[in-house]
Amino acid sequence: MERIKLPKKVLSMLQGHGIEPEHILKISATDMTTECEYADGFVILTASKLVILLSAPELNVVRHFKGCSFKDELEMEKDKDWAIKVYELSSIQKIEVERQVACGILVAQIQEQTFRLTAFSNLYKKKMHELVRTFEHLSEPKPDFLKEEKEEKEEYCPNCGRMYPNPDRKICPKCMDRGSIFLRIMKYFRPYTGKMIVMLLCYIATAALNLVWPYLSGTILYDRVLAKNEKFLSKLGLGGGKFITALVLVIGMMLLAKLTIVAFSILQGVFTAKIVAQVVCDMKKDIFKAMGQLSISFFKSRQTGNLMTRVLSDADRITGFFIDGAPSLLISAFTMFSTVVVMFTIRWQMALVACLLLPISLAISFYLRPRLFSLFGRRHRAERSVNSQVNDNLTGARVVKAFGQERREITRFSRNNSKLKNAELSIVKFNNYFAALYTTTQELTNIIIWIIGVTFLMKDGSMPVGLLITFVGYVGQLAGPMNFLARVFHWWSNSMNSAQRMFEILDAVPEVVEAESPLPLKEPHGEIELKNITFGYEANKPILKDISVHIPEGSMLGIVGRSGAGKTTLVNLISRMYDPQEGAIFLDGKNIKELSFHDLRRNVAMVSQETYIFMGTVEENIKYARPSATKAEVIRAAVLASAHEFILRMPDGYDTKIGSSGRELSGGERQRISIARAILANPKILILDEATASVDTETERAIQTSLNYLVRGRTTISIAHRLSTLKDADFLIVIDNGEITERGTHKQLEEQRGTYYKLMELQKKALAMKGLE
Amino acid sequence: MQGEEFDLEQMEQETEEMLKVRFLTEENATFSRTEGGFVSLTVGEEVYSRVHVVRMFPFTDPQHYISIRTPEERSREIGIIEDIGKLNKDTRNMLEEQMNLRYFTPIIQKIISIKEEYGYAYFDVLTDRGACRFTIHMGGSSIVHLSDTRILISDIDENRFEIPDVDQLTAGERKKLDLFL
Repeated sequence: MERIKLPKKVLSMLQGHGIEPEHILKISATDMTTECEYADGFVILTASKLVILLSAPELNVVRHFKGCSFKDELEMEKDKDWAIKVYELSSIQKIEVERQVACGILVAQIQEQTFRLTAFSNLYKKKMHELVRTFEHLSEPKPDFLKEEKEEKEEYCPNCGRMYPNPDRKICPKCMDRGSIFLRIMKYFRPYTGKMIVMLLCYIATAALNLVWPYLSGTILYDRVLAKNEKFLSKLGLGGGKFITALVLVIGMMLLAKLTIVAFSILQGVFTAKIVAQVVCDMKKDIFKAMGQLSISFFKSRQTGNLMTRVLSDADRITGFFIDGAPSLLISAFTMFSTVVVMFTIRWQMALVACLLLPISLAISFYLRPRLFSLFGRRHRAERSVNSQVNDNLTGARVVKAFGQERREITRFSRNNSKLKNAELSIVKFNNYFAALYTTTQELTNIIIWIIGVTFLMKDGSMPVGLLITFVGYVGQLAGPMNFLARVFHWWSNSMNSAQRMFEILDAVPEVVEAESPLPLKEPHGEIELKNITFGYEANKPILKDISVHIPEGSMLGIVGRSGAGKTTLVNLISRMYDPQEGAIFLDGKNIKELSFHDLRRNVAMVSQETYIFMGTVEENIKYARPSATKAEVIRAAVLASAHEFILRMPDGYDTKIGSSGRELSGGERQRISIARAILANPKILILDEATASVDTETERAIQTSLNYLVRGRTTISIAHRLSTLKDADFLIVIDNGEITERGTHKQLEEQRGTYYKLMELQKKALAMKGLE
Repeated sequence: MQGEEFDLEQMEQETEEMLKVRFLTEENATFSRTEGGFVSLTVGEEVYSRVHVVRMFPFTDPQHYISIRTPEERSREIGIIEDIGKLNKDTRNMLEEQMNLRYFTPIIQKIISIKEEYGYAYFDVLTDRGACRFTIHMGGSSIVHLSDTRILISDIDENRFEIPDVDQLTAGERKKLDLFL
């Protein structure tokens, strides 16, 4: 277990109060005064005392929050003055963490009064909760307390000592090896090695031909052919004076060179497109597969849509770099190097000038480009707000019209729209400015080189025209690769970030894990037992506390309670959407953690008020749980769910497209489709979560009849607000605040005269009122 | 069966009360500090040994519409203060102290650096409470735009930091922040 080291001064102060280090049961650091200033401090719990130590507020110290601090920094000796407060545990009835909006307060009940002990930032929330639990354990020992203690995680990167941003995923962003990410991505390309080689060869051929081109179009054309060089003719094996033939030959060669370049680049383009499409497709498939395996909590904790679209477009970005950027990088480096070498062999003075001047335009581009990116960002944001407003207005058209707010929406739209226009304009403006500056410097470079070259030519004739043209051609060729090299690092880091995001999804460990060698579950009886279940979405905030229920085979359990009491959470645990923090759930005496997801979920079906209709036909939607079902079975299920009639009222019958892009169904219709789905799934265990809450009384009656059929021979758990829905339940539990407050049959609960009784009377009265109307 | 009638009436009364809005003013309510560092309230006959002070519009109107609530988990509203500025200074300070802690959010005055690394962004900033380094998760909802220029940042522990006006930052600082704007 990781221990907080106390400064020597603190230790001696504690000794002054008779506390030795070995008396300490739990320490939590704290970092705020109740006056909202940052300070240092400790909360220390021993078997008989609670000590609060707090330094004076400090403004000149850097505060490190989670993910930023280093281990050594935290252990720094803190030599300062401490204010100490010692409370005897015998005088404290209770301590508690009170959550604030963005921090916490530790409060204590002392003689019926509530005292603020200290405030702390969320950095120490977990430690404080542990301290509170240790305190509770002292007054009321719990058996599995020690187990909890052990689960504490090492939270620092062993390499650089930095705190992990997420202790569940031990990856230090700083130390994560970019090389290993690179290799992992390369794996996606392995199946296409052959194609990759062809592509690379095309690149090399193009580069080589490009290198020859200026020589061909300059030196050969001007200095050999046009200058009527006889030696050259004999080299070609042509007789004297046949310069026209030589010209035709050279021009033919030039043409051939250009054509070959074009052919190679087309070939390379085709291969690139093929590989990119396939690799992107493979990556997306992996991402989607990983998404399917993740637990519900992953989707709840993130802005899912945003994350997913981002990750999917990441796949494009990564592949783009690998297929386009990486080879270009190689080729550019090669081209640049060889061009520079050739230039220096032609005339080193001019090469030197070129090498000094070219980086100027490069520097301009390097310096101005970030500004261009930020302008692009602005346009993107403006575009997004225009799009989202249009989207908002389309979906909310009815509300806009109903409240007569069209004019205001138009004003709002024109405001966003003109923002977009301005962003667009500033991009154009800047782009022009940028292009003008860039080309001017480049042209200037060229002119200077020409001038120098011509000077050489005029002075001593040591620089023939053809050679000069060749040289300028090489200078022109240098600009492209240089520009590329200036850009490539940005590209590289972007694509690495994309890759990291992708692996974050691929590597995310589902919180609910399937057993490695699951127990078989062939024909379950459907007996369920919940033993001492404690669960909370956040570890420190239990929604369910120590729940135990036994549901015999084939019986029906009714759950009653106000909204937010934890009823839905409880049934979610049975289908293992989440795992309880304490306790276990047994199906036919087998812990559900030991069953395979497939076996478990095949036998548990849920009909809830949140019905989801997938894109597809009515038939496909009903068959969702059992795609192998025959048409006759689908019809039977629909009839039993009283869905058959309304389905046939639609012109396309069972083939009607429903879901997000299809026909809209009413709440009751959707509900009946989902009941038909459950009937067809034929599960042993059925969960009805407010199945009839959102429909009118008549529809409810129809659905109720279907449900009565559905529950026959199954173990059923039914959650309902309307107690009349639960009249067939064999026994009921009332959940309040995460605890079972009442349990028993109708009769027993009625006699108890508790919450259930109250609710029943209230609903009776409401029904009577309805009768009067 | 008289007990049952009584029960129902009481419940209806409670419901009715829930629908009422009670405004607290200096005339009908007395706040005072408690020994434990909290605030207590007396309204007419009712005495609350400790109350919670909650803003209804914490971002857009922090000085108006303050809800005074009971402190238990499922808290209930005791009343509303329409304008905290209309209270006497002592009471105002007392309530503001409670709210300052509740809505504790350092204000970022200077951005020293922002580094993005593998899905997390590392902030090094100067706030009105001193220098802070914190980490946020990228791609989540860590950055909330309260208005065109006002930004709320939550770190991975959900500690909050605020930039009240982006335009007040220097061009260099805005550039660092560009990724999130």
